[in-house]
Amino acid sequence: MSLVKVPKPSLMQKLKRFFLIDLVKGLGLTLKYNIGAMVDKDAVAGKGIYTEQYPKVRPDVAPRFHGAPRLNMDPETHETLCIACNLCALACPEDCIDVLAMDVEVVVAGKPRRKKVLDEFIFDTSRCMFCALCQEACPTSCLELTQDFELATYSRAGFVWNREMLEQGRETVKYTS
Amino acid sequence: MHQVEIATTKETLLDSPEMVLNMGPQHPSTHGVLRVILRLDGETVIDLDCDIGYLHRGMEKIAENRQYPMIAPYWDRLDYIAAVSNGLVWVETVEQVMGLDVPPRAHYLRTILTELNRIASHLLWLATHALDIGAVTVLLWALREREEILKIFERQFGARLTCHAWRIGGLPNDAYDDFEADVRRFVSNFPRRLDEYETVLSENRIWLSRTVGIGVISAQDAIAIGLSGPALRGSGVAWDVRKARPYAAYADMDFDVPLGENGDTFDRYLVRLEEMRQSRRIIQQAVDKLPEGPVSAKLPKVIKPPAGDYYHSIEGPKGEIGCYLVSDGSAHPYRVRVRPPSLINLQALRQMCIGHLVADVVAIIGTLDIVLGEIDR
Amino acid sequence: MSISFFSLLLSPVNFIGDLLLKLGLSHDAVNSVVWPLIQISIVVLVVTLWVAYATYLERKISAFMQARLGPMRVGPWGLLQPIADGLKLLTKEDFIPEDADRWIFFFAPYIAVVAAFIVFSVVPFGPDWAVITDVNIGLLFVIAVSSVGVLALILAGWSSNSKYALLGGLRSSAQMVSYEVSMGLALIGGLMFARTLSLSGIVAAQASDAVWYLVYQPAGFLIFLISGIAENNRAPFDLPEAESELVAGFHTEYSGFRWSLFFMAEYAAMVVVSAVATTLYLGGWYFPFVHKLETGGFHNLYVLVSALIFVTKMAVILYLYFWLRWTLPRFRYDQLMDIGWKWLIPAALINIVFTGFSVFVVQALDGWGSLRTIESMSQGLNLTATGKLIMIGLGIIGLFITGGFLSLVNGRSRDFNLKSQRRNIRLVNLPSGTPAVASTKETAPTEA
Repeated sequence: MSLVKVPKPSLMQKLKRFFLIDLVKGLGLTLKYNIGAMVDKDAVAGKGIYTEQYPKVRPDVAPRFHGAPRLNMDPETHETLCIACNLCALACPEDCIDVLAMDVEVVVAGKPRRKKVLDEFIFDTSRCMFCALCQEACPTSCLELTQDFELATYSRAGFVWNREMLEQGRETVKYTS
Repeated sequence: MHQVEIATTKETLLDSPEMVLNMGPQHPSTHGVLRVILRLDGETVIDLDCDIGYLHRGMEKIAENRQYPMIAPYWDRLDYIAAVSNGLVWVETVEQVMGLDVPPRAHYLRTILTELNRIASHLLWLATHALDIGAVTVLLWALREREEILKIFERQFGARLTCHAWRIGGLPNDAYDDFEADVRRFVSNFPRRLDEYETVLSENRIWLSRTVGIGVISAQDAIAIGLSGPALRGSGVAWDVRKARPYAAYADMDFDVPLGENGDTFDRYLVRLEEMRQSRRIIQQAVDKLPEGPVSAKLPKVIKPPAGDYYHSIEGPKGEIGCYLVSDGSAHPYRVRVRPPSLINLQALRQMCIGHLVADVVAIIGTLDIVLGEIDR
Repeated sequence: MSISFFSLLLSPVNFIGDLLLKLGLSHDAVNSVVWPLIQISIVVLVVTLWVAYATYLERKISAFMQARLGPMRVGPWGLLQPIADGLKLLTKEDFIPEDADRWIFFFAPYIAVVAAFIVFSVVPFGPDWAVITDVNIGLLFVIAVSSVGVLALILAGWSSNSKYALLGGLRSSAQMVSYEVSMGLALIGGLMFARTLSLSGIVAAQASDAVWYLVYQPAGFLIFLISGIAENNRAPFDLPEAESELVAGFHTEYSGFRWSLFFMAEYAAMVVVSAVATTLYLGGWYFPFVHKLETGGFHNLYVLVSALIFVTKMAVILYLYFWLRWTLPRFRYDQLMDIGWKWLIPAALINIVFTGFSVFVVQALDGWGSLRTIESMSQGLNLTATGKLIMIGLGIIGLFITGGFLSLVNGRSRDFNLKSQRRNIRLVNLPSGTPAVASTKETAPTEA
């Protein structure tokens, strides 16, 4: 049991301690919040309610959000922009992407050529860590991470998306009440 | 002056058998999957041992099989609360080893966003620490402030928590359109909120009873164990990597470093609150002085640092987070070793807890501000 | 006799009374048996609803204090939340731990609930028919019966066959027992003015003196309230049940309906302490100018309004409970016991001595010269205006004397001197070192 010297409290400090001023100050602040929750509309700078009532209210998602992947298509020709270059699969740290290409015969300037086009695109969203390295690697802005964050599914297999799911998107139930 | 007793150890009056208590990996107050084995005499802690490894994911081994840019997202998941800082260690290490010339705008943006991350991490620390000690309302207020920061992160990086913020050479994208307005709005609202937390906690006699004199560690012991960050500065040791070995734009910033005196929980609490204020000051200066220009350096096609051993560290919110890189000249690192501040800070837990009661152990784990993702990697 | 809304309200009661008269029971039997049964069922129903909606109010109030909304989904504004919670708890699996003492495990929650609810039989909600029974040792009855609740905790902890439940139960019950001492002692100060132990009599004494005993006994009120909060294991004294190392204390092994009984018992005990505090210190159902309703002839309306006043005052104290819980951090167990034994019990004892001294002073001053301090002593101690001023002044002096004595007793302890020990942190503008370069060379921080 050690004894140390401390400064004697002043009269003001003693009175404050007697009247529990430190507790009263904290209680006053919570009372202000209680009243503010009912009258104050400003939640960010004031004392209003900060809750967003999801799923009744859809949240504001940023444009750059790393959400569900999507394979973009050319808006006029409705053909996929993917050139099967495999750069996204090489960039992915988690090996989620599998790009399967096939050769097709095309005629370019009168000569028959073999062009590599996309056959199947497998994306395993359960392994994905949404780091967006694939999005950055894609040279044609085909693979994009959208703002969709509701990726839940009822089975493990539902996490593995194929080309159709990536291009059309998934049907999800949106709760509004 | 008058004499008072400041004892924290209680003498044992009864001869009772010791009890071993397991604060298991699943526990509301151990901040992750930490297992603490306590040997108790009644309620007093006689000995303490930690069992870690429940969150080991093999990040350092994974890094040996990935290329340098692909390793950055794994660093986010170490101290998942301060993902932006962790990312900064890695990219700065690789940039300095490769000798890349990062443009000043990138440095300033990195400074702003890393300091925002420091505030976010300290807010979560305050929230959980106050929750453990019983002031639940502070948890929700601090999380509201943190939410504002996470919104800025979402708009800038695309993710709230594990951001993958930086790329080797700079930033992937420039600041988004409303970046400056958002940051300035946050900076102007924040001091009032900090004053609110202080109103509820700093003078409160119950808070003082729970934190003054609890978990004391002296400056010599702190240096001997290798503590860093607010745990070290709470004991009065003036070491801040931002000042001692400045990185990013910190050399141009004017800020103070708060130092505690007694090395107890209350001093660390005050130090972290004051650090939040200083971070706000840094953000204000950096936003005012933000230069124009590109945000990324020119990169070679494949990142292949020259062979050798390198170490670089920054001041993360939890302490000095470092990266020890052994490169063999190829596109994959030979060894990546993380200096986890939380693991080294955790070494002090035994010394801090012995002699205190079981209820204090929870407060002391909170004051060390550990993240198991970093400890177990 | 005018047909008022309230005689319509009472018509089912009249109907039951008439029915029983037809069955052959005499008037007296009907009045003394049926009527209290009806009162009891009304009170039990109202208190159960009150307890259930107290949980709703706690969630809403705590949410507003934390800038969030609280329950919103179940029913408009979440009003059906307690019913949803009750239904959920009823449908949970009911299991008893292995090797637990089955019968004690079964009975413990019921003991807790019954001990909390029995108190409402003597609480005066209003003047005439708003009291189930008026026992003339009412206050003693209240203290005694609410102490039985402690038994439930010990039994629950013991019968759970779990190390942590047992420790939690023992700690909770030790805390409750310690604070019961100061709770009982704090009440004695108010009794010196009321001069009766009957709860209705205490309220009548305050009504006839037209004063709330809060102004005579600020110290007693504070001591009673703090002891009551600690008695109920509520924050800031809730370490036995909220602290994580013992999971949930004595009710760790309880789930489903049995747990909800403990929960109800806790909230009912909160309502009990609020009711006793209201009765003794806040004037019970008395409010100035409400008596005009009685003299105006609206007797039933007067009783109903008085009951509403009582409930409002109880609600204020319940709000205080929620307010304190969600603002203040919690005490550690040894600090909690220190407060009970070293602060509240000495304070309560000083309060008794000083109140006795003040009553003696006021009685002695009565008739000294032209000073008249006492009006009458028939229904409690009724004082004149002069007497009241003197008593209020002495009450405030008593507050300071209690504080002074407590500082004397606890002056050298650690917790008392924390604010003096606290030193400010200092801000240091450290010099900048050399910029960082990733290398393994040792660079000392002072190298230029």
